[in-house]
Amino acid sequence: MADFRTGLTQWARKRSIWVFHVNAASCNGCDIEILAALTPRYDAERLGVELVPSPRHADVLLVTGTLNPLMRDRLKTVYEQIPEPRHVVAIGACALGGGVMKDCYNVGHGIDSAIPVDLYIPGCPPRPEAIIYGILKLVTGIPDPIITGEANVG
Amino acid sequence: MTPVQVAELLLFPGLTFFVCLAFLFEWLERKTAARMQGRLGPVVTGPFGILQPVADFFKLASKEEIVPSESDPFVLRWGPALYFAAPAMGIAFIPVIGYQSVIYHPLDLLFMLFVLAFSTLMASLLGYASAGRYATIAMGRLVVQYTSYGVPLLISIVTPAVLAGSLSLQGVAEAQGPVWYVFLAPVAFAVFILSSLAELEKPPFDIPSASTEIVGGWMTEFSGNALAYVKLTKNLSYVFLSALAVTLFLGGAGGPVLSTNQVLQAFAFTCYFLVKLFAVGFLIFAIKTGLARIRIDQAAKVFWTIITPLSLAQLAVAILLR
Repeated sequence: MADFRTGLTQWARKRSIWVFHVNAASCNGCDIEILAALTPRYDAERLGVELVPSPRHADVLLVTGTLNPLMRDRLKTVYEQIPEPRHVVAIGACALGGGVMKDCYNVGHGIDSAIPVDLYIPGCPPRPEAIIYGILKLVTGIPDPIITGEANVG
Repeated sequence: MTPVQVAELLLFPGLTFFVCLAFLFEWLERKTAARMQGRLGPVVTGPFGILQPVADFFKLASKEEIVPSESDPFVLRWGPALYFAAPAMGIAFIPVIGYQSVIYHPLDLLFMLFVLAFSTLMASLLGYASAGRYATIAMGRLVVQYTSYGVPLLISIVTPAVLAGSLSLQGVAEAQGPVWYVFLAPVAFAVFILSSLAELEKPPFDIPSASTEIVGGWMTEFSGNALAYVKLTKNLSYVFLSALAVTLFLGGAGGPVLSTNQVLQAFAFTCYFLVKLFAVGFLIFAIKTGLARIRIDQAAKVFWTIITPLSLAQLAVAILLR
């Protein structure tokens, strides 16, 4: 019975990924790509990915931007409001380490200087395919027919 | 109660049947919206993504539950159970396998009115107990909206009862043998569908749960198990209101008698019921996906100045027809 429960939970968690998006001082380039990943062209809802309005409903936090000092505490607050198990995905060069704005006076050294990051998606901005691939890679973590391309996902 | 009745109440055509329908309705809603927007919708989870709502439910149920510091933990913990109980009580009175329902009372239509009001009361109580500022705004909007659509909803439910001369769902369904009330009282049917949209917080009346304005509405502070049950209850209310529309306006489970065998005929009645249920469901999905949200003052104005007088006029016509 315990095995069944674990299996059911694992199955459900892999197939229902609700994301919450935080723009931590981004130029909007990565945010547009996230929108493209969620809207009809790439339609991440095929895989059970859904954008939720409140961090309390979310499983995965998508963070973009350079993380300037103003956003640092707010990002931590949002992160703490997400119920466990929670994951953080840093999207774009700025979120990874400052990007083209690196070494500016108001630019942080990546999202991982404020909250733990599970996955990094590089690019300026990354393509929607890369974002969807990253989210799935993060949640499944093991070889899965959806990720390896063996499953027909439309 | 006999064991057979208990089994009917819990399995078919009772709770289990309707909870499965609730999951199916969410999947259909998401698929319809996706197809209307030129998307595919869920495809990976199960065949055609049909298990997507089930996966969502079990994932939410397995997550941590956060209790905000200013909230009322008791209501937050047990409120969703009572909220779930509202439509779960209502569905026991819906005739599915013929003209007889699992539980029968000659005045059960009045109980339906109680269930609809109780559902809204629990929603506002849950929003109030979670003590979030967005939840508080949403609760205010919810109550304003209820004062607007409550009266036309009540009148549109009473109209078929007047036509049938009966205050029980069975009686209303049976009286529609010759002609469905959607043809005798089309305005009441339209008013019922519009009020249902308001009750379900769907566009154009999704004002209490407007995610572009007030985050998650009154559900903002909910997480984990509580959110799973709140979401399931919303879908169950969807099925409940559609089933009520079928019973009151589309002849219930009635249809041509195909067989003298009782079991086969019950199966046929169930099929008629499901076909009508999905027809009403698709009508609501299409309206919901096709329309944008209106403001709370516009909703109140529309309901009080147009829809309520229309439903009253329809009630007067129904009384004359009788």
